[in-house]
Amino acid sequence: MVIVMQKHAPDTSIEHVVAELISRGFDVHRSTGSDQTILGVVGHVDTIDPREFELMDGVQEVVRVSEPFKLSSRTWKPDKTIVRARGVEIGGDKVVVMAGPCTIENEEQMFETARRVARSGAKVLRGGAYKPRTSPYAFQGMGVEGLKLLRAAGDETGMATVSEVMEISQIDKMLDYVDILQVGARNMQNFNLLAALGQVRKPILLKRGMSATIQEWLLAAEYIMAGGNYDVILCERGIRTFETYTRNTLDISAIPVLNKLSHLPVIGDPSHAVGRRDKVMPLARAVVAAGGDGLLIEVHHDPEKAVCDGPQSLYPDQFTRLMDELRIIVPAVGRSI
Amino acid sequence: MSQLNAEVELKRLRDAIDRVDEVLVKLLNQRAKYAVEIGEIKGHLSLPVYSPEREKEVLQHVEAASEGPLDGASIRRLFERIIDESRRVERESAQIKENA
Repeated sequence: MVIVMQKHAPDTSIEHVVAELISRGFDVHRSTGSDQTILGVVGHVDTIDPREFELMDGVQEVVRVSEPFKLSSRTWKPDKTIVRARGVEIGGDKVVVMAGPCTIENEEQMFETARRVARSGAKVLRGGAYKPRTSPYAFQGMGVEGLKLLRAAGDETGMATVSEVMEISQIDKMLDYVDILQVGARNMQNFNLLAALGQVRKPILLKRGMSATIQEWLLAAEYIMAGGNYDVILCERGIRTFETYTRNTLDISAIPVLNKLSHLPVIGDPSHAVGRRDKVMPLARAVVAAGGDGLLIEVHHDPEKAVCDGPQSLYPDQFTRLMDELRIIVPAVGRSI
Repeated sequence: MSQLNAEVELKRLRDAIDRVDEVLVKLLNQRAKYAVEIGEIKGHLSLPVYSPEREKEVLQHVEAASEGPLDGASIRRLFERIIDESRRVERESAQIKENA
């Protein structure tokens, strides 16, 4: 951390800041210029709240040099993490596509959709059993009965399963049916839930909060990892911007940024970002082209009849076409599918 | 100066710098030992490691002592680093004593 003092800051102000740093056990490197002094702070500076020093007399600016996230950073672990779930490797050479309906509705829907996406090349089956709906009057999900259908459909088609966990009390029963636990955008900063998932020994798919910065997102991952669960997959799902034509703006740039900052696998969810089926395919292609390790795509065997997010679900035939397109794109970015 | 002479002269001056550096390192270590002793005495007297007034005195003293070609600001910057390290040595030796 570097503390830049104001021009011509009085010695007493500088001494006060130095004394405070030393009393907290930090080493200070003082550099006096012709009219400005800079203090280099050495030690475990991530415990410092920079605002405390910014508010001190004579301080112009406090600049963090190191990142506040540790376990998720490339500095801590230079090699990419490969997360394994029921034989599927996420973050490795292969781009992994996760697909399935937004919500598990009934046996026919779950199995029919599972068979179609598996045939096209999906490796992980998605399906929501507990749904965080914006309205309390909307369908809230099938619960454990839905999870049983998801597991059975995954087993039949040879796919791993992913489903969203909304609260701590759901974790235990979900572990019996689900290979990857998903944390939704609305829960990205539910720190109690994140800490509880740190105790789990199954991969966590952490979606980006809709107004979360990349740093906040990585700090959320840090909560899970601090508990000893290092298998975290980051999922970009669109951020709030001023644009209203799409529901959210899929932040493609987050993918190369995260690939540099973090060793964790990064995937993209274009379905929730745009909220419209006709925009899902181009964005899915962009995620893979930008270096994403995978995709999370909503597919419904009969989207018109879907109880949730029908307009953003692909028809099975569209999904097959998307997979064919991805097979052309992945070699160009040095991957396979 | 011929090419050969210039090269010999360059080598002689670089050797001279190496010898000066050896003396400097010895002197800096001597200075650090004093700093550790001072740290112990400060601990005895319950005085803080950081004493801005004394640091100011040290800087003024060395600035005044310099006869050039390094000007006062240069000497000050160099000694700020020396003081930073002395402070660290004092703190670390105090901590070792505390933990012992």
